[in-house]
Amino acid sequence: MSKPFPSWKACAVSLLTLLVPGLSHFFLGKRARAGVFFAIVCATFLLGIALHGALFPLDSPNWLFRLAAVAQIGLGVPYFLGRAIGWGPLGLLDMADVMFGYGNTFLVTAGLMNMLLMMDAFDIAVGRKE
Amino acid sequence: MIRDHFLTLVLYSVLVALFFAFLNHRDRKGFLKSVGKTLGWMVLGSVALGFLMLWTGR
Repeated sequence: MSKPFPSWKACAVSLLTLLVPGLSHFFLGKRARAGVFFAIVCATFLLGIALHGALFPLDSPNWLFRLAAVAQIGLGVPYFLGRAIGWGPLGLLDMADVMFGYGNTFLVTAGLMNMLLMMDAFDIAVGRKE
Repeated sequence: MIRDHFLTLVLYSVLVALFFAFLNHRDRKGFLKSVGKTLGWMVLGSVALGFLMLWTGR
């Protein structure tokens, strides 16, 4: 990137990652890395769903579930889209599944990875990082 | 779908190791070192911790 962005613009660019994981990096010209980040975050997210993890709502009865929901919301659109089409339901059968905990770990990690990507994109945009 | 705990651990570790290596390293050597270190610590550390819990839990 030739010239650093002002903070407000860097903020706006970093928020693009909430639409599609890695989109901020793509916009900043780091296309290969954007593709890799997209693949890693999507693989983590889809594995979490396949392992019967839950996409927790923010109004979950358990505070740990609410905390997990905050991390998962870091995924942005995939989280809301997944919830809208009924992926990762918080049913008793799913919670009894032996892989439920693993699935949740994958989903929470995908959300946290996406948040880190936003911060990384911000740093690149303001010129703090290559 | 996967029902194997160890395979799940390895998959998770690979994804996390790759993510942080791509995030923090631009050079090939640093990248490979980071992947190896993170992967090793996560997989071997988890197995060691598992055995420790098995032995101390008896």
